[in-house]
Amino acid sequence: MNFNIIKKAGALILCGTMLLASGCKKFLEEQDPSNLTPNNFYTISEHAEASIAAVYADTRFFGGGAGIFSSNWQLLEAVTGTSTTETAQNSDLNNLYSLVYDGNTGHVINWWNGLYRVIANANMALDKVPGLTPMDEAQKNKILGEAKFLRAWAYFYAVRLWGDIPLITTPQTANSEDFFPGRAAQEDVYNLIVKDLTEAEAAGLPWMDASGRVSLAAIKAQLARVYLTMAGQPLNKGAAYYQLAADKAKEVIDYANANPGAINLFSTYGEVHHVNTENKLEHLFELQYLADVAGNPMENMFPNFKPVSVYGANGTGSTVPTLSFYQSYEPGDLRAKDQEGYFYTSYYHNGDGAPFDLGAPYIFKHFNVVAFGTQGVKGSARNDLNVPQIRYAEVLLTYAEAKNEVAAGDQSAYDAFKRIRDRAQLVTPAIGTYTQETFREAVWRERWHELCYEGITWFDMVRLRKVYNETTNGFDNFVGHVNKSSNQPLQEKHLLFPLGVQEMLNNPNLKPQNPGYPQ
Amino acid sequence: MIKKRPPFVGWKKGLFLFILLGLCSLFSFAQQTIIVKGKVTSEAQPLYGVSVTVKGATSGTTTDDQGNYSINASGNAELVFTFVGFNTQTIKVNNRSTINVELAADTKSLEDVVVIGYGTARKSDLTGAVGTVSEAKLRERSVSSLSQSLAGKVTGVQVNSNSGRPGGRTNVRIRGFSSINSSNNPLYVIDGVMMPINNQTQASQAIDYINPNDIVSVEILKDASSTAIYGARGANGVILITTKRGKSGPGKVTYDVDVSVPTIGPIRTKVLNAKEFLAVEDLAYQNMAKYDPVGWAAGKYVGRNPALARTDPRLFDSNGNPKYDTNWLEEATQNKLSQNHQLGFSGGNEHSTFSASLGYRDDQGLLLTSYLRRYSARFSFDSEIKPWLKVGGTLTYNNQQENIVDQSDQVPRSIVEDFPFLPVKYEDGTWADNRNYPNAEGRDNVVHRLTDTRYILNTQTTIGSLYSNINLAKGLEMRTVLGTNVLAQENLQSQSRTLARNQKGTASAENRRETFWSLENYFTYNKRFAEIHSITGLLGLSWQETDFFRSGASIQNFSTDYFGYNNLGAGSTSPGYSSNSSKFAFNSYFGRVNYSLMDKYLVTFTGRADGSSKFGETKKYAFFPSAALAWRVSEENFLKDNEVISNLKVRTSYGVTGNSEIPSYSSLALLSSNYAAIVNNSRVGGTGINRLANPNLRWEKTAQTDFGIELGLLNNRITLEADYYYRKTTDMLLDAPVPRTSGYGSIRKNIGSMENKGIELGVNAVIIDKENFNWSSTFNISINRNKVLSLATPSDIFNVGGANFTNPTNIIRVGEAAGSFWGLVRLGTWSEAERAEAAKFVSYRNGLTILPGDIKYLDVNKDYAITDADRMIIGNGSPDGWGSFINNFRYRNFGLMIDLQYSYGNDILDMTSHSSEDRVSLANSYRTVLNAWTPENQNTPIAELRDTRAGYVTNVDTRWIKDGSFIRGRNLLLSYDFSHGVTEKLRLSKLRIYASAQNAFIFASDELTSDPETTPTGGYADDGRNVFSQGQHWHSYPKPTIYLLGLNIGL
Repeated sequence: MNFNIIKKAGALILCGTMLLASGCKKFLEEQDPSNLTPNNFYTISEHAEASIAAVYADTRFFGGGAGIFSSNWQLLEAVTGTSTTETAQNSDLNNLYSLVYDGNTGHVINWWNGLYRVIANANMALDKVPGLTPMDEAQKNKILGEAKFLRAWAYFYAVRLWGDIPLITTPQTANSEDFFPGRAAQEDVYNLIVKDLTEAEAAGLPWMDASGRVSLAAIKAQLARVYLTMAGQPLNKGAAYYQLAADKAKEVIDYANANPGAINLFSTYGEVHHVNTENKLEHLFELQYLADVAGNPMENMFPNFKPVSVYGANGTGSTVPTLSFYQSYEPGDLRAKDQEGYFYTSYYHNGDGAPFDLGAPYIFKHFNVVAFGTQGVKGSARNDLNVPQIRYAEVLLTYAEAKNEVAAGDQSAYDAFKRIRDRAQLVTPAIGTYTQETFREAVWRERWHELCYEGITWFDMVRLRKVYNETTNGFDNFVGHVNKSSNQPLQEKHLLFPLGVQEMLNNPNLKPQNPGYPQ
Repeated sequence: MIKKRPPFVGWKKGLFLFILLGLCSLFSFAQQTIIVKGKVTSEAQPLYGVSVTVKGATSGTTTDDQGNYSINASGNAELVFTFVGFNTQTIKVNNRSTINVELAADTKSLEDVVVIGYGTARKSDLTGAVGTVSEAKLRERSVSSLSQSLAGKVTGVQVNSNSGRPGGRTNVRIRGFSSINSSNNPLYVIDGVMMPINNQTQASQAIDYINPNDIVSVEILKDASSTAIYGARGANGVILITTKRGKSGPGKVTYDVDVSVPTIGPIRTKVLNAKEFLAVEDLAYQNMAKYDPVGWAAGKYVGRNPALARTDPRLFDSNGNPKYDTNWLEEATQNKLSQNHQLGFSGGNEHSTFSASLGYRDDQGLLLTSYLRRYSARFSFDSEIKPWLKVGGTLTYNNQQENIVDQSDQVPRSIVEDFPFLPVKYEDGTWADNRNYPNAEGRDNVVHRLTDTRYILNTQTTIGSLYSNINLAKGLEMRTVLGTNVLAQENLQSQSRTLARNQKGTASAENRRETFWSLENYFTYNKRFAEIHSITGLLGLSWQETDFFRSGASIQNFSTDYFGYNNLGAGSTSPGYSSNSSKFAFNSYFGRVNYSLMDKYLVTFTGRADGSSKFGETKKYAFFPSAALAWRVSEENFLKDNEVISNLKVRTSYGVTGNSEIPSYSSLALLSSNYAAIVNNSRVGGTGINRLANPNLRWEKTAQTDFGIELGLLNNRITLEADYYYRKTTDMLLDAPVPRTSGYGSIRKNIGSMENKGIELGVNAVIIDKENFNWSSTFNISINRNKVLSLATPSDIFNVGGANFTNPTNIIRVGEAAGSFWGLVRLGTWSEAERAEAAKFVSYRNGLTILPGDIKYLDVNKDYAITDADRMIIGNGSPDGWGSFINNFRYRNFGLMIDLQYSYGNDILDMTSHSSEDRVSLANSYRTVLNAWTPENQNTPIAELRDTRAGYVTNVDTRWIKDGSFIRGRNLLLSYDFSHGVTEKLRLSKLRIYASAQNAFIFASDELTSDPETTPTGGYADDGRNVFSQGQHWHSYPKPTIYLLGLNIGL
């Protein structure tokens, strides 16, 4: 019997060994059933759509969380001095307002990470989409054009925030040569931006696209913005680039004049922040939001715990106008009128109830009356409102400013400028009363008052090295100007943001730190 | 109330009972002819379960519960009587037909058999550090999960129950942290079947779903010598669980029942009452004029005048005085009777044994609507089918239902923050919520929330194992074990239309299934030769696979609350759906050799080669070796007859174990398809970058050295076991940060190292041992120090502890204890005398000038700005030492146990200071705000009260750090065992009644706002962010005092 057992056991062991030899290699192989790899994706034309969708999705980092009571976009507002906070609960945000931020400040790090992620996904699309066959060539070009626009959109932010920055144009693996990149010269970054936008211009995209995708108008307007910036600080390319900026803006204006039903200014300021007018007319490019996917991220503009919406008293008030900026609007400026312009000083209890006075001005520019409620109409509590990136109003002002630099006293520049003031129901002095200097400052002033709280003002301050002084109604030099929000003077170092301290530790090639900031 | 019906009703349970009874009869084999009979006793008490064998024969019998046995034997045979804990006796039959035997207790008690990985060993032969918890100790407290009953029982094992909810949120760490991004949970092995390691939903562990009453012993393997046999899964220690098995002899029936009531525990949060709150609100309003004079003058705060808010006639009389003064803690709690019933059957003959048990547990939580109900059934059998073949198996099924109320921080937070001047409901029956009070932070009252939220977790666990033991030759045995474990979970959630107002009601349902199977085959060889050499060899292989699948759906907007989560189709907005699946597998080979020379010198070598699917293409396999030496000094001639030292053993071990608890597919480059673009106001799915590939990803390794000493004095009346260990983790699995310019945040990498070193000491002493009075005492202490030695990159790692909502709370930095608390130093508040100095600071409150009465921080770099550069390590949640001190007294039939738990040197980071001290008026606050700065009270850490809009700062700082040291009355237990005479009359074999109070008292700092055993509640429960959050407090389920009455009946 024992012999039998041993025979059986022997057979078992044999079985085991066989299993071991044949089955075991396969037994430990793995393939993720819920996620794709770069090797089993990018095979058919639909993958091009999925690939560009990832880039669009990443642009929403703009509204991503930045700690308690704060969102990333506040980086661009807190430092301008036009806004302040009603709560001191987020120390990173406090440090931004007080101009004592450094390379550990959360918002600064989030912007770096968010922008480079947009770039990485755009690089992936630009690398993989060209190889997809079969695919309709026209469609392929459009998607590549969108990817280039979005990559340029990200680099344009990055180069203005940090100056010299790593220039990554291909998908990365841990073995990539530029996995630990150094800082590329700003000039090179701008060259890529211009190249991407110029190529996107030729991608066959429609002038306007109500679906919210990149349109030709957006590309041209962005290019005008880029040229205007290149003309000023820090590249100082001067007249040639003012000319380029004016020309590019003019292309949009000409199209708008020919097709006023496609591109135009909205007749009321309410339309600037209404869900029914998204991606239309004045909105040349917007970040898309939808409650089901991601709700509008501008709610930190609510007053601090005052019941202005259907949500009740739940606002944070971490971005509110400074009184001095609000009071700097000319008397009668419609933009400062309660609930009609870009501000409100009273509202309805819980959005639709009894009106009450707020005691102070708040930003109405991103207030979604459909979601929050309005007189007698209860809010839907679904904030689908988009975040504007480029409005036609800006194109007009860009044109006015650029044209004035190369052709002082130009009628078309004056007309563009006057359109903005006309909508605000302001009287504009005759063209002849302006010199090149006074017109320049008038346009700048208009930019401050028209484009406030849209992430534009800070970059104007940096490229102009000038800051609007609410008290004098004139312009101070950047360095030495005291921000009314915190009574802190701007310093030379503030022209650039610091590089993230942890990022510099993780990438020894990323040096030096921007001047004035600790390592 | 206890329900009147018997514990087992319903046809399902009846059917089950019927089947059990059928199985009982199956095992009642015909009795054989009796030749020798007798009774085995010890000190006149019958001994049950004594093994009686004829010397030289393989079969035998055991005594019944009256100590009787009968056995076939020839007239000149010798009978061998063996029983654990007693000296073996060999008696010649000499043709007698009755032989009564008196066994003497083996005072050295070293023959205890201890379960070790893939086998058993005599305690005296152990070369490693193994802690044992006996059934009696496990039963000292009636708790719903094994982890809780292990608390304080074994040195080096830190068990924290971080929530008072039924079932617990328990955290088990053996000898500190070994890992940062991988799991620190130990491996649980139930009767040879491994349990999932990673955290389950809501910080539960798979072990929490098992009925602890089915468990008869637990062995905790701590050092590398004992854990290395589990190779890649042994790095965090291994907990071996043995469940009940039958014994031959007459059948046994046991019935245990306890009923208990939870009451509000010894630590209560102290909040403002209605009058105090209104006074604080008034003062905060008035002080705005001082802290924001410009805004005040501009009329910015006119609407904030509290007088304007106190107009609701339902809440205030015409003078603005409050009509209610609600104690929300009392409103939110209940004192409902919980019950626990356990019914056990066992029996068998010399060839086959079985055991079956049924359990029903109904724990009613301290907070309204929270409960845990568990139905459990278990069956095991063992049968010696042939002299050379033994087979057996176990089947366990548990069905657990819970309503978890601390799945988010909202409920415990509302207990603190609900306004005291609100009633639960207005007279018209609608809920009174904070949101009804103008300008307050809108929240719903705790009773409203508890009543209108459901978070149901239904967990079904099926664990089955089958084994066969084949005796191939003398001393050579082959064991094959097939094990499965299926964990199926439903998570059902809903919120009513009054609670999820904006969504008009929400509901979701999620299903998860985790299926594990293993097949293990191993040979054991035992041989003793030339009298002095003894060798045991083990060689085996193993396959394991785990399969995971999850699917879920959610929706909003219902026209009624009637459906809850039962009809998702009735919802109409924002449908969401998701599913995912994953899989991983192990293939392993293991072996062990134990050699003993003269029973004095012991050597063990262990090795395991493990292959895992989770690692890189070329790094699937790794080998984990260990070696250990022990010397039983007391067996040497110079000590053998020593009257003081009855046992002395020194031992040392070294070995390497691994940790593979990372998500599957971590080595692969992956794209994510969870991107969502919005085009044309609808969702468009996208696919983009997700994870960097690392084909070289391999195991995390922990090398551990252990020195241990075991000492028994005065016939082992005093025993002592001490260990020193040093653990070093290398190749640490880390989500190592990469340059973000790549678009990626991190790469899963093996880099970095960390050490833990510590001392463990356990002492047991029988202090008084008289016939009618006995006092024994157990004291243990564990000390562990953790330090990060190196990291992937020089950059610090943040976000490794939960609740980073103000600033990062924890840091991993080279040279420091992993997960140390990180923040500013609060020096106090600025005094009037420092007005000028304070004003020099760049504002850290809304740009408003820093004034006397504002918080004064330490400005480390003296730049007059409070920034991240001023942050530093401000504390650590790990204790300097912890343990327990347990005293047992026995007087006649009465027993008294006092079980004290202690911990010292552990800091608490109280995140609730942010919401309840640094922002009055928005919600209710702690009473500590009554000590806020005033011109008369300048020496205080609390800023002068003012409305938050006038600039209240809040930062993670040293004010939030509290001393978490404590001594807890973990369990006070009084019992009475009915004497033999009484039980005999009742025809019972055992009758015991007992009463206990758990968590009856605690000595701890007055400043604590919660139990010192705490981790943040909220969306921080997942493994990743929870690793280093022990000791961080963010609103947890209050820990109750539980009063319990129990009865044990043996038939």
